[in-house]
Amino acid sequence: MTETTMTRASDTPMTAHRLGLIAVAVLLAGLVAVPVAVGDQFVYHIFITICIFAALSTAWNIVGGYAGQLSLGHAIFYGIGGYAGVILVNLGISPWIGMFAGAAVAVVAAIVVSWPCFRLHGPFFALATIAFLEVFRVLALHFRELTGGATGLMIPLKIGWEWMVFRERLPALLIAFGMLLVCLAVAWAIRSHRLGFYLVATRERESAAKAAGVGTVKVRLMAVAVSAALSAMVGTFHAMYLTFIEPESMFSLQFSIQIAMFALIGGIGTVWGPLLGAVLLVPITEFARGALGSEAIGLHGFVYGVVLMLVVLFLPNGIMGLVHRFTAAPGKTVGEQAAPVAAAPRSAVPREAGREVMRIEGLQKHFGGLHVTNDVGFTLREGEILGVIGPNGAGKTTVFNMLSGFLKPDEGKVSVLSPSGEWQQPVTPGDFASLGVGRTFQIVQPFAAMTVEENIMVGAFHRHPHVGDAREAARETAHRMGLGPYLNAEASSLTIGGLKRLEVARVMAMEPRILLLDEVMAGINQTDVRRAVDLMLSIRDTGVSIIAIEHVMQAVMSLSDRVIVINSGQIIAQGDPHDVVRDEHVIEAYLGKDFTHA
Amino acid sequence: MDTFLQIVANGLMLGGLFAIVAVGLTLIFGIVKVINFAHGEFLMVGMYLSFLLSTGLDVHPYLTAAAVAPALFVLGALTQRLLIQPLMSARDEHVQIFATVGLSTALMNLALLIFGADIANTPAHGVRSQVMLGEVRILTGQLWVFAAAVALVIGLQLFMKKTRTGRAIRATAQNRAAARLMGINDKFIYILTFGIGAACVGLGSSLIAPLYPTSPTIGTYFVLIAFVCVVLGGLGSIPGAFFGALVIGLVDALSGFYIGSDLREAVVFTIFLLILILKPSGLFGTRMNLSHVSP
Amino acid sequence: MKLKSLLTATAAAALLAGAAHADVKFGALYPFSGGLALLGEESFRGVEIAVDEINAAGGIKGEQIELVRGDAVDNNQAIGEARRLISREGVKAILGTYSSSRSIAASQVAELSGIPYFELGAVADEVTGRDLKYLFRTNPTAETMGIMTIDMIVDEIAPGLGVAPEDLVIGVIHEDSAYGTSVAGHQERYGSEKGLNIATVQGYPTSTVDMSSLVLDLKDRGVNIVLQTSYQNDSVLFLNQSAEAGFEPDAIIGGGGGYSLTATAEAVGDKMDGVLDVDFTQYAVNTEFTPGLEDFLAAYQAKYGEDPRSGHSLNNYVGAMAVLEGIGAGEGFEPDQIVAAAKAIDIPSGATAAGYGVHFGEHNQNDRAMMMGMQWQDGKLVTVYPRDAAVAEFQIGD
Repeated sequence: MTETTMTRASDTPMTAHRLGLIAVAVLLAGLVAVPVAVGDQFVYHIFITICIFAALSTAWNIVGGYAGQLSLGHAIFYGIGGYAGVILVNLGISPWIGMFAGAAVAVVAAIVVSWPCFRLHGPFFALATIAFLEVFRVLALHFRELTGGATGLMIPLKIGWEWMVFRERLPALLIAFGMLLVCLAVAWAIRSHRLGFYLVATRERESAAKAAGVGTVKVRLMAVAVSAALSAMVGTFHAMYLTFIEPESMFSLQFSIQIAMFALIGGIGTVWGPLLGAVLLVPITEFARGALGSEAIGLHGFVYGVVLMLVVLFLPNGIMGLVHRFTAAPGKTVGEQAAPVAAAPRSAVPREAGREVMRIEGLQKHFGGLHVTNDVGFTLREGEILGVIGPNGAGKTTVFNMLSGFLKPDEGKVSVLSPSGEWQQPVTPGDFASLGVGRTFQIVQPFAAMTVEENIMVGAFHRHPHVGDAREAARETAHRMGLGPYLNAEASSLTIGGLKRLEVARVMAMEPRILLLDEVMAGINQTDVRRAVDLMLSIRDTGVSIIAIEHVMQAVMSLSDRVIVINSGQIIAQGDPHDVVRDEHVIEAYLGKDFTHA
Repeated sequence: MDTFLQIVANGLMLGGLFAIVAVGLTLIFGIVKVINFAHGEFLMVGMYLSFLLSTGLDVHPYLTAAAVAPALFVLGALTQRLLIQPLMSARDEHVQIFATVGLSTALMNLALLIFGADIANTPAHGVRSQVMLGEVRILTGQLWVFAAAVALVIGLQLFMKKTRTGRAIRATAQNRAAARLMGINDKFIYILTFGIGAACVGLGSSLIAPLYPTSPTIGTYFVLIAFVCVVLGGLGSIPGAFFGALVIGLVDALSGFYIGSDLREAVVFTIFLLILILKPSGLFGTRMNLSHVSP
Repeated sequence: MKLKSLLTATAAAALLAGAAHADVKFGALYPFSGGLALLGEESFRGVEIAVDEINAAGGIKGEQIELVRGDAVDNNQAIGEARRLISREGVKAILGTYSSSRSIAASQVAELSGIPYFELGAVADEVTGRDLKYLFRTNPTAETMGIMTIDMIVDEIAPGLGVAPEDLVIGVIHEDSAYGTSVAGHQERYGSEKGLNIATVQGYPTSTVDMSSLVLDLKDRGVNIVLQTSYQNDSVLFLNQSAEAGFEPDAIIGGGGGYSLTATAEAVGDKMDGVLDVDFTQYAVNTEFTPGLEDFLAAYQAKYGEDPRSGHSLNNYVGAMAVLEGIGAGEGFEPDQIVAAAKAIDIPSGATAAGYGVHFGEHNQNDRAMMMGMQWQDGKLVTVYPRDAAVAEFQIGD
């Protein structure tokens, strides 16, 4: 799924990017100019409807697109806003205040509803939101004294800006347009700042995001809260516009699906997609209903369903996807991807290892009846490269997972020396990240929808909250890692060697003190292995301590200061690399008893 | 006490009804790993077909199953082949959701177009006659539905465990790549499974049609309830879906009587949410089926 | 631009749909598509027949009436269409709307624009409960329905069963939309005022697939009179499932909706016999009380080639006739002139095809509007209450 990559204008062809922005500006201006020019009440109504739907879809997109949580119950927030507004107006309070009251309630509801459900993947999150919507609707019907029940609620027809009720249409259009601008501004702001990057990263690869120090639950809650607040505010305005609301239409599943659909057709996850979707579909729906609606009941809905299926099959990235195919600047993807990086000449004398920075004591782990980690303990010294080897299935990555917060040991302790000198026991990936422990993954986990630069920025944000600073840091890290020429390429277009390097670059942008590398040499060719070794040495020379799981013996031997051998969950040998490989237990583990005396 | 027993009986019968719908859904989800939002519309289509055949040929609605089940098999197979298969490699799950939502909308409106908004009543042909079990009244049709649900569950389990095709299906569900290496045509397996799941609903619809009025919108309610049963029972577990359906049927009947008819739905959905949040593997599910939850 | 072509198309359609000489325009705002379309269309037909009749007789104030259709498929659309009819089409007044929600939404718009709105078929109280200056309603309301149901119990059913009204145990059940909820609310209120024992009032979702728990609850409470306000699906379910549960109340009174439809009777067969119904005037009624009914039926069959599918067309016809002729008798087509003309309408009971008179009283509601009490006898729905309008006798206590 392609994104509107928010790289600066100076990096992409100026014309395409500029043209895009101009087109959007013209479109937005047209939303006000056209009805004013035509001057017809009905046209005003259509454009007000477009603005409302576009605003709601844009707000939805923050959750459904950026965060990837497909909510099909967003009408909950819209309905809360509507009811809050109407109830307060009937108590004599202006809807401008009611709007914020509704937004506050919606935020609370959003957090209560979403937080327990974030663990649910795609369709189940959607189902849960549908279930919540139905519960809200039934409760709204039930609590008649508050909501008016099935017969609904009306507002008294008090005219004026204070009450958002007008005789002419222009003021209503201006308010609707204003709300649309607010939603677009918020969506754009999120996307181009750290929160947006974090959301996309969480959506793409939650584990990698966690390893990069992203508080994945926190950022999604923020997205949901913002989206809910915006939806509620639009709901309040719409209630004033309709002057009459009822549970059926305020908490409607159909409506929720429609909002999501506009975002899909326009381009999920993009800033302008939902706007395009609404601008295109609302008039078409009106026209279709006019032409087909009275012909035969159901024809219009049938066409709707078919169009949805066709769009999903042939145009899953929506209109923005089409636009991108024609305008995106292709980043450099051809050519060498693991460029040689100058490493500081290695001193002939083995470096003196510094103080201990990480202590692992007595780790035990069971998966059901399987004892996967059996009393594993060792220490890591500052500036040391510790190699971890062992046959397949020995449990090396399991240990790594316990050293980075992805798995909790049944027994044992993992302690990390903080920069200020105390020993701490981190628990979550976030804790480990804040203590300066970074890791890569055995199976590369790039954020495929982002460019190389943006991928690295996710790591850089850990140290530089500001977009500008993070970009600078990312660029610098990319150059150091030899990925400079590929900054604007889509991550998904890199080769395996490039992806591994990207993974390392991302974690290096976090400026870690301790680096856990999981088979970074796997699957790459000889030349690349040599380059990777040089790279790791240069990293170590900057003061980073490294633990590296490796199978490629050449790398292990030339890199490691010390080596640990793990077999069947236990450490069977530790020490100098050359000694370890001659240890008979190690040979037996790898090759079997027959070879121990070879 | 009599009333209570009657409520329990009603609940169990209702559960049998939900089970027939849920079993197909859990099969499709457990194997193909797709949430079929159009499942309720499959039921609706089946019911309309039963109605047409039964009234047109003037036969007992149960006999129409011979035509309706295969017809729905084809519908399910086509859905997999034309709609889901092209999307199976999509990186984002939302495309599949939207695809089946689109199918659901299209089918519902197509029915509206063809049959109008009026309800269609399949003649009962005697299935509405009553049977007394002690003081409790049950319709013969309801007993048939329950029996069919049980038979379906047993039949499917036997099929999955004892036949070659069944094993192939289970293998594909557990590890698609490995299954392909074993020479199993995974694409065909998915089409077959979707078809079987739909056919189950088709069978059910012939049994349900004489008991309940059919309308274009009847599917929406059933699909949500079916999802609840499936999640409650544990995704992919066929016996789980059956027991989950019985539980939901009982909850529905009991809450309808003791709490109030207007809040029944709220009770059922609240249970659904609690299960999803607290015990997503369902009451009978194993840890293996947690693909819908992050650790 | 798409919008321009939409507007052109609609204007063209309006021209084709209307009379040959488009002199004075009135808007007809009904749900023509979506879930309510069937009865929305049916209601509109009544208006069409009225307009045909008036135009054939020379129109009003010498001008032919042109009806411009607006599709009120949902609330947002309803207000959009209302705006279009008013500003684009320049209608002098809007007639509508069958659905209470659409009516409430659209009439707020009309009020803001100062254009008269004549509701001919929606029953919820809130429609005229808002004291709008330009809104009038000709048809009987949920309140009328509730009151008549209770009156029927007190006047006919209790005596027919040989018991005092207070000794009956009444259960009120209803589908949970505005329609069912408002009727049930009035039944409860008026019933309590009359000292009746309302044992329970319960709503259920319109799309319910099973009512067995509800039936058991009613049975458990010893309910012997059931008042149900429902659409087709739930009427069928209830009637079938009650019989099957062995629940046989002394009387079941429906509040229109599914209880007035032949399709329901066909679905439940014999169980429909003896079931009572309170609704808009239907067709098996004493025509001395409803002059013009037979002519209406003939006109309907001639124009549409089938029998009316419900009483909505008749009701809208009566309302439209009264209103349009009233405007014709007034001073002109300006909003205030129309309002004045409406207020002057004074048609006595027994003088219209629906049997009730027209006079706009408090809140601009027709205070002579009346429902009819009916009963299914031998597969036909016949009027049994009030006596003047009855064509058959009450059959109680079997």
